[in-house]
Amino acid sequence: MTSVYRGNIKMAIASLKSTKWRSFLTMLGIIIGVVSVVTVVSIGEGIKHQVATQINQLGPDLITIRPGKLVERSGNGAVDGVNLLFSATDGGVLTPKNYETVSQTPGIGKSVPLSLLHGPVRIDGHDYTPLVLGTTSSMEQILDKPLEFGEFFGDGDALKDQPNSAVIGHNVATKIFKQRQAVGENFEFLGQTFFVRGVFKQFDTTPLSLSTDFNDTIFIPYQTAQQITGENSQLYEILAKPSDSSRLTQVANDITHRLETSSQGQQRFTVLRQDESLAVTNNILDLLTKMIAGIAAISLLVGGIGIMDVMLVSVAERMHEIGIRKALGASSRQILLQFLTEASVLSLVGGLVGVILSLIINFVLRVTTSLTPVLTWQVVVGATVVSLLVGIIFGTAPALKAARKDPIEALRNQ
Amino acid sequence: MAIIKLDDVSKLYGFGDATTLALDEVSLTIEQNEFVAVMGPSGCGKSTLMHIIGLLDRPTHGSFMLNERSVARLSQARRGKIRRDTIGFIFQSYNLLPRLTVLENVALPLAYRGVSLAKRTKLAINMLERVGLSDRDYFYPPQLSGGQVQCVAIARALVNDPKLIIADEPTGNLDSTSSRLIMELLSEIHKSGNTILFVTHNPELTRYASRVVYMHDGSIIQDEQTKVGEVAETALQQMYTVPTRTAEDDLAGVSVLMKALPQKESRASKVEPVKRGRRKAVGKSRSKVTRKPVKTSRSNHAAPKRGARK
Repeated sequence: MTSVYRGNIKMAIASLKSTKWRSFLTMLGIIIGVVSVVTVVSIGEGIKHQVATQINQLGPDLITIRPGKLVERSGNGAVDGVNLLFSATDGGVLTPKNYETVSQTPGIGKSVPLSLLHGPVRIDGHDYTPLVLGTTSSMEQILDKPLEFGEFFGDGDALKDQPNSAVIGHNVATKIFKQRQAVGENFEFLGQTFFVRGVFKQFDTTPLSLSTDFNDTIFIPYQTAQQITGENSQLYEILAKPSDSSRLTQVANDITHRLETSSQGQQRFTVLRQDESLAVTNNILDLLTKMIAGIAAISLLVGGIGIMDVMLVSVAERMHEIGIRKALGASSRQILLQFLTEASVLSLVGGLVGVILSLIINFVLRVTTSLTPVLTWQVVVGATVVSLLVGIIFGTAPALKAARKDPIEALRNQ
Repeated sequence: MAIIKLDDVSKLYGFGDATTLALDEVSLTIEQNEFVAVMGPSGCGKSTLMHIIGLLDRPTHGSFMLNERSVARLSQARRGKIRRDTIGFIFQSYNLLPRLTVLENVALPLAYRGVSLAKRTKLAINMLERVGLSDRDYFYPPQLSGGQVQCVAIARALVNDPKLIIADEPTGNLDSTSSRLIMELLSEIHKSGNTILFVTHNPELTRYASRVVYMHDGSIIQDEQTKVGEVAETALQQMYTVPTRTAEDDLAGVSVLMKALPQKESRASKVEPVKRGRRKAVGKSRSKVTRKPVKTSRSNHAAPKRGARK
């Protein structure tokens, strides 16, 4: 019997070749479906991968405190939901007072406030809008990233001589100052002149992550920032590390508790450990990936309907052929298999072409953008199998129609 | 042993007022190794009979024993299997699959039987050799002449080694030379023990048959044994005995008789020659002119001439 199946495949290919344009157009639905699903999933996987590296480079024991209720926690404190919309609208505030609370929590080794300052950065008469954060000298240790050039600013007395010094990220140096070695350059910010004291090495970053991209950031001393903004300054986030990293969970819980107590439950904030941060990001990315892949999968469905359509036309066109085959002794099952094979070959070839195109798109994305899509073999095999299934599912009805045809009626059909 | 035994087989098409009786209680017994020609005007039920005997269609009433086995009420799948293993079909319009090579076409019935590729290729090559087309294995049907295509179709019909071969006007689309070639081939096959049933409109071809069955309006009106090599007597006369059948022809005063005119007279009256003995509506003027000469020339008709008219 196997020779019959092999014959079927050969016949299917021959028949598809004889209607090249039609076959190609039919496949297009499947191709587009597979390409979009595979590409979306691989971009999602790639970003997840990048986020993990980015989060890990800051150290696994970093605790981030953000304003707003970003995550839902279940009774035992585990993150079980992400509030993307809430965190944006229900924005709580973090104040310098909160920072004091955090820094006084027992078991805290180092902690830094990050205050966000709004305003244009003016260099040689041009305005730029990098992220400007006020922070303390501990930032250098918390980020655990060496400076490429220069040095970090100090605190307190060390700052007295030069309150307007700044440390900039890699991208700020290359894109705004147009040179990697930007130490000694000046810029104007909120009416004051700052000079660049240090440049960070490049951070591994990724778009779509919850963490801030420090490559695009200008750090200025916290005290200077407070002087500029005055009393009602708000904190963008607080970063902290426990002195003993094995007590990470304990310290994080203590911070939460103390912050809640100090504000009498009036403030909304989120205390996230790095592993939770990673989980939250993955959560969001998974949701996004699934949503977009789901929309993309609709084109697979449409492709399947296209296959059904074309197969129905093909069956109607080849009624006479079906009659001949039946007269020669083909059983209904053999006719069914023949048309099912044809539909499957159509969709499988479409799926394979789609996978190959996805590989090319993957490569192009890697070369031309900062995205590093990850194509796993599971996705490739899955896409191929799904496209084959689409062919089988949508090819069944036309194939049944062909198989059930009465031979004499089919023969009469010229 | 009777290979085919039809008893009071009827076939009805349509419902209610639109019912047509394609076969009217036909009884027919064909023994093994007979070479039977079936003749009759268009619409007389020849093709329906062939389809029923070939298990492509089911009789509405009556019993049908094929190889002493009742097959009238079998399921489509069972009939398909019997068809595959015991019956070979040859059609007027060849019915080869144009996208398959000659070799693949011939091997197709074997494929449906589950024969391995190597074996069926070998068998198909042998069969093509037998019909004299061994050098055309990898041609596609459209690249061959009508006669060659029909030879391929015969090879395909034979490749499963069927007991019964049914040919529905196998020479209907061929010129006389190719027709003769095909008939010679069929009679050769007949000599090797197959039972052959063929439909024809050409009395000349009854030379090859051992028995001729005449049909009219769904019934068998005449059944005669003939000597192989001689044109059946009734076949010569058949055209003159069959009355007109359509109201249009009656009105026009045209009968089948007139359509059997010698070619010369047809040409003389500038009317397109009648093909293959099929009845065609003809203008009044022609029928008036030609009515009388036909009667007088009836006895002078030589069979080969009529054959050549095809």
